[in-house]
Order: sequence, then C-alpha cells, then structure tokens
Amino acid sequence: MFESMTGIVLALLGAALAVGLAGIGSAIGVGLVGQSASGVVSEDPDKFGQTLLLQALPGTQGIYGLLTGFLIMQRTGVVGGNLLNLTMEQGWAVFMAAMPVAIVGLLSAIAQGRAAAAGVGLIAKRPEELGKAIIFAVMVETYAVLALLASILLLFGITF
Amino acid sequence: MANDSKYAYAVARVRVLENRLLDKGQVDRMLEAQGAREALQVLAETNYASAVGELKDVHRFEDLLAGELERVYREVRRFYPEPRLLEALAAKYDVHNLKVLLKAQGLGREAGGDILYPNVGNIPLAKLEAMFAQEDFRDLPPHLRQAVEEIGAGWSQRPDPQWIDIILDRALYDHLLALADTIPFLKEFFTHQANLVNIKTFIRVKILRQDEDFLKKVLLRGGDIHQSFFTDLYHEPLEVLCDRLALSPYAQVVNEGLAEWQEKGRLTRFEKLADDFLLNFVRSHRHHPFGPQALVGYLLAVENELKLIRIIMVGKLNKLPPEEIRERLRDVYV
Repeated sequence: MFESMTGIVLALLGAALAVGLAGIGSAIGVGLVGQSASGVVSEDPDKFGQTLLLQALPGTQGIYGLLTGFLIMQRTGVVGGNLLNLTMEQGWAVFMAAMPVAIVGLLSAIAQGRAAAAGVGLIAKRPEELGKAIIFAVMVETYAVLALLASILLLFGITF
Repeated sequence: MANDSKYAYAVARVRVLENRLLDKGQVDRMLEAQGAREALQVLAETNYASAVGELKDVHRFEDLLAGELERVYREVRRFYPEPRLLEALAAKYDVHNLKVLLKAQGLGREAGGDILYPNVGNIPLAKLEAMFAQEDFRDLPPHLRQAVEEIGAGWSQRPDPQWIDIILDRALYDHLLALADTIPFLKEFFTHQANLVNIKTFIRVKILRQDEDFLKKVLLRGGDIHQSFFTDLYHEPLEVLCDRLALSPYAQVVNEGLAEWQEKGRLTRFEKLADDFLLNFVRSHRHHPFGPQALVGYLLAVENELKLIRIIMVGKLNKLPPEEIRERLRDVYV
C-alpha cells in the first residue's frame, strides 16, 4: 500500500480530514442546538429567530475546515488541473498543516454546540439576554479561529 | 455526549415551562387577598387562568389542583426521553392509590373518589381497581407487589391501617432507589428524602413514646443515615439528635424543627424546612444544561406550588390572618 502512496495522496488525505472532521463537529454541534431550540420553540414559537442565531454558531468550524481543504487543493494544484508532484516529505507537511483545523474544529464545534444549547435555555428564561448567550458561545470560537490561523500559516510556510 | 443529545430538547422545553410557574410576587398577592375568592382571582391572571375559569365553587379548589397535577404529568410524559425518571417521580401516587384501595378493602368500604389520583401515577386507577377485583397483582413493580401481597396475607391477623402505610412506604423507597440506580442525581435526591423522612419518623416515635421495635419497623431502608444511628439514639433525649446531626446537611432542619416542637408542640416547621431543603437541593442543580436535573426540579416545583396554593386556600377559607398562613408556606422555586 505504501509503495503507491505518494506525497499528493497524503496532502489530499489532509484536505479530506480538515473538511470531514470539522464538518462532523459542526453537524453535531448545530444538531444539538437544534434539539434545544425545538424544545423552546414547541412551547414558545416567538423564540424562533433568537434560537436560530445561536444554532448557527457551531457551524463556522465546518466552514474553516472547508477553507483549509480548499487552500490545500489550490496549493497542490488539484483545483486548476495542474497537479504538483509532491515528495513524501512535502505530503506529510501538508497533512500536518491540516491537523489543527481538523482536530480543533471537530472538538470545538461540539463544545460550542453545548454552550449554545445552554444559551438556548438561557434565552428561554430571559429573552433579553440573547447577547450574553451569544458571547458565551462565541468564546469557544476563539480556539477554532486560532487553529485555522495555525493551519493557514503552516500551509503557506511549505514550499513546493 | 450521548446524554447531551438525549436531554437537549427536554431541558429546553422545561425551561420555558418553568417560566409559567408562580413567582414570589404572585404568591404574596394571593396571601394578601381578602378572602378565598379574591385569592382565586389572582390565580386567574396566571397560568391557572383556564382552570380557574372552569371552577364552579371556591370550596372545590382541590379539583383545580388535582387537574393541574394531572395535566402537568400528562404533558411531560409526552416529551420526556427517560421514562424511568418519570416512573420514579410518579410512583408516590401509585403508592398513595394502593394505600387507599387496600384500606378500603380491608375495612370493607368504598374508596372515596376524592382522595385518589386517577391519572397521575404510572398505573391508571382503573387498572389498579381491576387488579384488586381479580386479586392479581402480577403487573405491579416487584417491590410494590411484594408489599401488597404481604398486607393481603397478614390482614386477617393484623387489621391495622397504619401497618399498610408502614409496609408500603418502605416498599416505595426500595422501589424508588432501584429505579434511580442508573440516574445518580435522582438517587441522591431520594436518599436525602429518605433521610429526612427517617429523621421525622424518629422524632415522632420519640414524642409518642412508641417502642424501639416499632421504630425499627418504620424506618426506611433508602437513606444513607444507617438504621443503627437511630436505634442507638433511641434511649437518649431528643436534643442529642441535634448534636449528632450538627455536621450533616440537615442540621438547620432538625434544629429549627425541634425548637418549634418544644415551643408549640407541632412539627409543621420541620415539614416545611424539609420540603425547602429538598427544593433547594434540586434548585442548586437545576441549571445543568443536559440531564435529568431540570425536569426533577420542574416537577418538584409544580408539586410545591400546588401545595402552596392549597395552604393559602385552606387558610383563606378558614379566615386565618396572612402571617399565620405565611409561616407554613414553602419557598418558591423560580
């Protein structure tokens, strides 16, 4: 198996994990908030808009994952049709560069989903505190952004 | 994580329901009302509006309370993901019905419809009555079934209604702790409850000077204060109980409860403080975003609220002054 594994395969594996894991995290997070939001809306339909705002928050990790994956595709020439011939070393480097956003994306989206779902509970009681509920959930975003930053810096640091 | 998703919907829904509970201001207004009718008018502006509208006679306010209890349990059963939890919380109503039916059967009377809970417990009253008619209790949970059969077998030698209460109360806590085995929060709650019941039982036994064997029989097995703690204390004066429990969470309940007994010869303050203790225990956990805490808190709050309304209404109908009613009132959950 390893004989046929060239650098480009590793780079694409990195891209797939960045998109995949961060996407899974966001799906779980958004799903969890959706359940909480349904609980509130089933008793109080006026809260749809407010809960929807909170539900959207854990969705960003998936976007960061896609962004990283797209950058890898673009840098390695998958997009544009000019496929680079990467060495194993370059392939591993790209793979590693994708890891921050893949791993942190997965876990932070779930954590953010929990915070946002708790926020849904908060606005069920005090709708006027929507801002605070959003801030609590957005605090988690910091770490997803930091991971995205690391992934991008790493990717642009690799020379092909 | 699996738990998050299991409880997310239910917890959020309960949060909205909590908003509809009475707050302190509404309770105070009920208290200050001139007479029972006006107190009901205050209720008519709350979540109880439609129930108050259907009420024909102020003296039938118990119908309103029973109807609300039934409605809340019906509603929660429709969406709650953990049936064991509801089963445990509603089991006390089954046991209440069983007690009433057993006593009626033993004494050869009709069970009065007013004192039964037809649709709140886990087993509809009609089904319970059918079990009694056929003398077949196989569908009861094991602990309760055993208790009912024990009472049935022993009644001819011992036709004592109090004995029915004793056996069934013990069976109830055995049943509750078995149900709560997989839900740590609930287990802790029932343990506190059993401890408080045992402390009260101990005080009662001491006051009424019943013998030690009787005490052993009536103590529940559910609590984590061991039976021997109470039997050892049996020959000491009651004050020793306060000292021995001084470091337990129940210190305040016991001290103040006993102080009132020594002053006025009644245990109503103990009962109020015990209820408040349990409510506070649940309240301190209720913000848990994913788990059974919110619902246990809500149901307890509803039962507490119904108790509050009952105390106020009875007080108003008997023309007690507001201060005297207030003494007996429990805290408000929200």
